[in-house]
Amino acid sequence: MKKYVFTLLIAAAFGNIKTAQAQQKAYDFMVDGVKVIVQPSGNDIVEVQTIIKGGVANYPVEKQGIEALAMRGLTECGTLKHDKNSFKDALDKLDASVYGFAGKDFSVIRMNCIKSDVNSVWPLYTEAITEPKFDTAEFKRIKQDALNGLKATDSQPDAAIDKLATKVAFAGRDYAKQPQGTAEDITALTADETKAYYHSILTKSHIFIVVVGDLDRAVIEAKVHDMLSTIKQGRPFELKKSFFRVYNNSFTAESRDLATNYVEGVTSGPELDAPDFYAFQMAISIFYDRHFLDIRTKNGLSYAPQVFFASGTVSTAKFRVSTTMPNKYIAVFDKLVDSTKKHGFNAGELANMKTTFLTGFYYKNETNAAQASSIAANEVLHGDWKKSLTLMDNIKKVTVEDINNAFIKYIGNIVWVYQGDPKKVDPVLFKNGTLHNADNPVSN
Amino acid sequence: MTSKNFKRFTLSVAGLFIAVSSFAQLRLPAGYYWKQLPNGLQVVVIENSKVPLATIEIAVKNGSFTEDSVYNGLSHLFEHMFFKANKDYPTQELLLKRTQELGAIWNGTTGDERVNYFFTFDRDSLNAGLRFLNAAIRFPIYRIEDMQKERVVVDGEFQRAESNPGFQLDFEVRKRLWTDQFTRKNPIGIHNIINTATPEKMMVIKNKYYFPNNSLLTICGDVHHEEAFAMAEKIFGDWQSSGFDPIQKFPIPAFKPLTKNDYFIKESSIAQTPFMDFSWQGPSYLTDSAATIAADVFSTIVGLNSSKLQQALIDKGLASSVSLSYQTSKYVGPITIFVVPNPNKVKECYAELMNQLSMFDNADYYTDDQLADAKAILLRDDMRAKEKPSSLPSQVSYDWCSTSLNYYTDNTDDYQKITRTDIKRYLETYITGKAYVAGIIIAPDLNKTVNAASFFVAK
Repeated sequence: MKKYVFTLLIAAAFGNIKTAQAQQKAYDFMVDGVKVIVQPSGNDIVEVQTIIKGGVANYPVEKQGIEALAMRGLTECGTLKHDKNSFKDALDKLDASVYGFAGKDFSVIRMNCIKSDVNSVWPLYTEAITEPKFDTAEFKRIKQDALNGLKATDSQPDAAIDKLATKVAFAGRDYAKQPQGTAEDITALTADETKAYYHSILTKSHIFIVVVGDLDRAVIEAKVHDMLSTIKQGRPFELKKSFFRVYNNSFTAESRDLATNYVEGVTSGPELDAPDFYAFQMAISIFYDRHFLDIRTKNGLSYAPQVFFASGTVSTAKFRVSTTMPNKYIAVFDKLVDSTKKHGFNAGELANMKTTFLTGFYYKNETNAAQASSIAANEVLHGDWKKSLTLMDNIKKVTVEDINNAFIKYIGNIVWVYQGDPKKVDPVLFKNGTLHNADNPVSN
Repeated sequence: MTSKNFKRFTLSVAGLFIAVSSFAQLRLPAGYYWKQLPNGLQVVVIENSKVPLATIEIAVKNGSFTEDSVYNGLSHLFEHMFFKANKDYPTQELLLKRTQELGAIWNGTTGDERVNYFFTFDRDSLNAGLRFLNAAIRFPIYRIEDMQKERVVVDGEFQRAESNPGFQLDFEVRKRLWTDQFTRKNPIGIHNIINTATPEKMMVIKNKYYFPNNSLLTICGDVHHEEAFAMAEKIFGDWQSSGFDPIQKFPIPAFKPLTKNDYFIKESSIAQTPFMDFSWQGPSYLTDSAATIAADVFSTIVGLNSSKLQQALIDKGLASSVSLSYQTSKYVGPITIFVVPNPNKVKECYAELMNQLSMFDNADYYTDDQLADAKAILLRDDMRAKEKPSSLPSQVSYDWCSTSLNYYTDNTDDYQKITRTDIKRYLETYITGKAYVAGIIIAPDLNKTVNAASFFVAK
């Protein structure tokens, strides 16, 4: 059904790595050197995610897009046992999903089906992972689809502004690579090199598996063992983390014929193992509320004022609005940041946010897929899937002093990007930065 | 924000009349409980203890279907103003603070035939949450200065949508599909109406539609139905009924049928890849509920990879995606084919789509196996739709507003009863040979090569 609905809010920001606990206890075990994490679900749905670590660090910049195209090809270019159509028809009959997608830090190959269909779907999942054919004719077709997808995404203003922010903020880093690639890079890719690339990253050392569903351990063990039988060990994997620091405020504008203007700012965030990781997560969530109040409620400057903590091997805080009054926005924003640094958050705000996090902790994990994604992200980024279950323990320990210090420490200079009418914006206002009444990590 | 993937119904018109005229016939899934308070407020409680949360939602039969050109977009603005100020929380700052104290995740939506407001929080906050909801729905405060700020916010939401080529295409299709009743299918509204809205207009909406006898309260989660009903009655019991059915008192004008095909080409620099949309006026739950079910089954059939439609367009590389959908509606739902064509083969894609359309009604357009597969998919979709407890109130209320609670309950079973005859009747009544609106949005540079005007025209 098409959705003809307008909402009061766009999606609110919550931490992106949490899971529920109102189920039987999760556990893990090793199968042929590969970690398998199982969360019993208490329902009739089974979600399996095979994670390939590395993300944008796996390929050079001129090959960006290759991992995403490989993921698409697993289920769209046939297997050694099935041509593309018979493979997809078999999934259709069971209303099952098997597909892969690529991200900045890892790729995911998903399977989702009804529990009673597992014995029919899992063999197809195994085929897609271990025996993809990358048929040349089908590959040509999915390349064209990937190009169309790139353009369609670029037509979405929120995606487009984030893409520009990524390009500018992370210039020279792995994180500047676009997992979906560029038109030029995708056009140059061949089926053979994509297949070879895929098999180079599909190694036991780079993967782990998450199962959320009510399946017996022995059943899972046997199926995973079968899946791994042809996968080589590979060289050890090392997660490459780096700190993102902005040395000067900057402003980059692109002219676009939009009905409004889009603004995004990128600044620092704590590294994954930083002691103030959770404090910053809380600080940025409270700042989201303050930002909403000042930007939307008090000043009517934007329908969609967004603030979020994008945690990954490069962690950042981001601010994004659509507004017809960008100059007024930056004035209000700067004052708000400065006031927050000067006066801090209060105990009431922190207590309320802890309550909200508890709601969010359960809310975002009502589905098996969300739980699997949370477990996977924690395992890749923190090296400990159990952090998806112990999030609230870490949140409870956070103090007002912690969040104030974290906010001051990481919210400094900002990389601003803009798409819309360049005549509506004064770059100087964005480059001026906050009022500097509190410490910034790096001065201009 | 709407319900599960499609929609639901009762197969016979006779059954439909029974369903709406007598609550004794009400059917609900296991774990769902229903009660009507003396003031007419219907309350549904869904016991689901998957997580220790409670979700509450109030849905009102309001939305663009109630709007003429003087009010178009104001159901949506009203929805925003719900969260602005009320007698218990006289400023939005205080209101937002209360949501934070409750640890609530919340939102509101406005569609064609429903406006809903929903909150999820810890199960122990149920009573406090219901009191919060009660203050907001019954005792709003409309200040001119608040409205001035919120008008800009709502218009900003409109401008965001207008920055999206998919919306631009859809908006133009709707204008042409619903002609003089366009406002009744346009929840985002009209810029000028939004930007000149007054507190008086908000009160007009409130005094027409915001009554217990035009609303559904749903409580879902780790709750007990008897306690939840008791809380609802205590808190909402003194909300006065309007004494009239708003939809009867302010009837919805009939939609004028399209008489001829209407094509347009929209050039837009933000459409980096072209989109095509073909829309028909489809069935209404009120007059042809059986066709609303057949519509979903047929949409599912042509979504199968093995279908003639997918094979002709996707497998052959003429398009990246093609989908057929029907929006379940009480008052004429749209049927839409949305296509993302291969930009190098737009003309070929269009020609093949027309070829497919000409074959929809052929007996061999789909096989018995495909019909069976579609039904099996719809069965499994229902299991997936019920996975997330906090989404259940929204699913229930969508049907309460646009169909009925029985439709919600029977929907999946009714899909299984659909026959080839039902689908043929649906196609012949609403698609085959029927007038439609066709639109394409395309970047000017690409159109220089494609020259859409040379083929994308009504014949």
